[in-house]
Amino acid sequence: MSIHSGLHRTRLFFLTIMVFLFALLINTSVAQERFRRAPPYPDPLSELRLPQIESATLSNGLRLSVMRKQGAPVMRLLLIISTGESASPENAPGMATFTANMLNRGAVGFSFAKIIESIESMGGSFSATAYPDYSVFTFSFLEDHLEEALESLSRMMLEPTFQRVEIENVVRTMYFDLIGRSMDPDVIGKRVLLKILFKDHPYNNITFNETVRRNLNKRSLVEFFEKYYRPNNAEIVLIGNLTLNVAARKVSRYFNTWASKDIEPISIPSPQPNQKVKICLVDFPGEKDALVYIGNTILLEKSEDYFPLTVLNQVIGGSPHSRLFMNLRESKGFAYYAFSSLDLFKKCALITITERVRPEVISESLKESLREMQNISTTLIPNHELEQAKSYLIGHFPLEIENSNNFMKKLSELRAFNQGEAHWTQYYKNLMLINAESVYAIAKNASLSTPVIVIMGALQNLSEYLSEYELDVYDRNGELQYTIKEGVLQ
Amino acid sequence: MSSSNELVNLCMIITSVLFKYASGMARVIISLLCLYVSMFLLSLHARAQDEIQIPFSVTAFELENGLRVILSEDYSLPLVSVVIAYNVGSINEQKNKTGLAYMLENLMFQGSRNIGHMQHINFIQKIGGDLNAVTTHDTTMYYQTVPSNQLALVLWLESDRMMSLEIDPQKVARTRNNLLGEIQRRKTSDPYFDSNLYFDKLIYPTETYSHSVIGEEADLRELTIEDVRNFHSVFYTPNNAVLCITGNFEKRKTTALIRKYFSSIPRGPNIPALSLENHINSEEMIKTFENYTTQSPAFHLGYRIASRNSSDFYALTLIEYILLRGSSSRLYKKLVREEFLARQLNGGIETRKNLSTFKFFVRSNTNTMLERSQKAVFSELNDLRSHLIDEDELNKAKNMLKMDYINRYTKLVDRATSLAETVLFNGSFDGTNAELRRYLAVTPSAVIGIANRYFQKGRVLLNIKLK
Repeated sequence: MSIHSGLHRTRLFFLTIMVFLFALLINTSVAQERFRRAPPYPDPLSELRLPQIESATLSNGLRLSVMRKQGAPVMRLLLIISTGESASPENAPGMATFTANMLNRGAVGFSFAKIIESIESMGGSFSATAYPDYSVFTFSFLEDHLEEALESLSRMMLEPTFQRVEIENVVRTMYFDLIGRSMDPDVIGKRVLLKILFKDHPYNNITFNETVRRNLNKRSLVEFFEKYYRPNNAEIVLIGNLTLNVAARKVSRYFNTWASKDIEPISIPSPQPNQKVKICLVDFPGEKDALVYIGNTILLEKSEDYFPLTVLNQVIGGSPHSRLFMNLRESKGFAYYAFSSLDLFKKCALITITERVRPEVISESLKESLREMQNISTTLIPNHELEQAKSYLIGHFPLEIENSNNFMKKLSELRAFNQGEAHWTQYYKNLMLINAESVYAIAKNASLSTPVIVIMGALQNLSEYLSEYELDVYDRNGELQYTIKEGVLQ
Repeated sequence: MSSSNELVNLCMIITSVLFKYASGMARVIISLLCLYVSMFLLSLHARAQDEIQIPFSVTAFELENGLRVILSEDYSLPLVSVVIAYNVGSINEQKNKTGLAYMLENLMFQGSRNIGHMQHINFIQKIGGDLNAVTTHDTTMYYQTVPSNQLALVLWLESDRMMSLEIDPQKVARTRNNLLGEIQRRKTSDPYFDSNLYFDKLIYPTETYSHSVIGEEADLRELTIEDVRNFHSVFYTPNNAVLCITGNFEKRKTTALIRKYFSSIPRGPNIPALSLENHINSEEMIKTFENYTTQSPAFHLGYRIASRNSSDFYALTLIEYILLRGSSSRLYKKLVREEFLARQLNGGIETRKNLSTFKFFVRSNTNTMLERSQKAVFSELNDLRSHLIDEDELNKAKNMLKMDYINRYTKLVDRATSLAETVLFNGSFDGTNAELRRYLAVTPSAVIGIANRYFQKGRVLLNIKLK
């Protein structure tokens, strides 16, 4: 009996051990390291150190700046002309763009084909853009070719030929490009919005369409070029491994014969923000959704206003975690997307909301968007939301400037708008100092809740859902066609 | 360049001054001395030009479970890029199971043991980071760029989905629906979607490369949850992946973090290497494809060429630049800028594992323009085979390639992608300078030789006719 019970106990003991080991084995395979259960804490934020910009002015008034950057053997050059589309003649909007596009189209003994060959022989690329307040040329090349690059650029700038055949080519290219873009609802939406917001203002020039080709001719081109493409209205910025002294010597060698001339200052008034909600529609038969553009201009009193305004934009619609996206898409399911963006001008900023909305909820969606704009103008942003917005902006800024195109765009804005170097060097600090009150101060003075709203979509589908509003119907060029009040054509 | 030239100029000035005061034999000696010094300076300059320095360092090591790690520090901005490349693509799909690789890429964002549905994206976006993923025929890569103080977060996210991806029937069904919709969208938005696939079937006659990465509709509908789970457990393992981190980090601390998050992930099964023979066609193949959806006639043209590990690859890459890269390239200049024959011109070298092709795609407004375009392409290829290329034109191609090469290693995420891809395909990274030198050493006679070797026979031509 005792032997049996002893055996039984031994068996029981082994069985218990086996069960325990088995359980341990299972547990080990299912269990995981504790650190996997939750996200790790971030390290302290690393410092953002950007290369300094050194500047000098040459004897003919040409401003030269150098951003010394060691690393890859590549050099980038920006040529900024402090005149943009807003200076185009009233009867020839698009003239600044046309002039910029003509710059690489031939110089004395240096045809367009040779210019392209020469640029590509330096491993380079060249582009020209006219913004409302300035025009900018970007030129990237292998650093060994700095002298050739400067020589090529000086020939284009100092000895342009503006040959008839090239003028025709550029006009034709611009025409077909504009025709192509006029099929794109995104382009049309923004164009109509700007046209209404900048009505009777020089910034309206940026909304030019393909019809401008009639007024783009050699006489007005030469006139515009002679008037504004002057060293005392220009700046060259070199980014690469060189000092200001070396740059000054080389740039003067090629640009010292560029003659300065007094330039009559262009007076651009501050565009007044829209003060009453205005709803417009552009008919796009066949478009099954409604593309919505909501925007207004904001007057900036000082350059420091940029930072609270950036935070404001981030809170409203800068990312998928911002209010509009969370409300219109995630919470209500009205929109496929809803974002906001900020454009800077010398005389104002422009906030634009873009949404793609289901037609049957267009009215509710507009009300929600306006409510969000109203909210941010009347209520302080909660702390956690403010911190999240700042954290995003601080994290995202180096990513933005890592992209060389964005970097060049931001650098040209910095120089053209005289933002001052601290705008970059103190970027983190400037953002960290923003509090709910400073955002509120901007928001309450901006006319955020009285924007212009442009809806792009099929009028036939949308009209029944918009019957409660007075609707101005525009064509694709931003010309008012008729008005619909309470569903009745006026 | 400038400093050497300036010294040479200075040398000439000194010589001319000395000349004034010397005569007879002294003049000869001065001339010879000047010539010697100038040549020495110019040779120094030439050597310096050859030495393109792309300044970054690379550290590589392997964890016990087979995960290969590459680290490259760069302190210019407070950012880090993390790329994880898996050696799996649509080539690894079995017959009737196409679309698995791409489906898995989508499922990788839909939650793992400790990370909820779409939380991976939320975590990265909230801190201002960027992320993306791409599946090709050969690889699947996941990349994110974030503020450098958030590196641990990315390693936590990536290791969790490598170790414990959660795949359930709802997620598979939802993803399948999304992918079926995407196939339709791609077919609608790209009128040449089907002709591209057909052309791939002709130029890569093996089964593995002749289906699209996105998969066939019929196969996608039949994929089971077991198919997806098996695919993940076989291919999404540390020993089938390369982890590359570039940017602003401290090497020792980062190594410790990598070990913390990845070393306990068990090694997966050994995957036998696919044996793909780089068969160079010698037979010409001309086919016609009738297209219902497009309004412009077009053609695809291709040649099978040497693989990326071959020494011929360097000259072939330069031929790509000579023919197709930049507005002054031969074909762009002729077909687009000067004669306005083509509405669209694309092409270049396509590499898939150890197979490579040289492809052209041309679209024109009319059949006549297309015929003239085709003649122009063949005429340029003939020209490359029969005439030595001018040194200036070759140098232009080399400089454009050099610029692209440098740019590939400048932006952090691009550098991480390039490094991960190199290690995945070549097993190691030997540095950029040696590789770049091999491209720059290509001579005009090498170009003519290579053009004759690969562009003489074996063309595959697919003419797209409108229905």
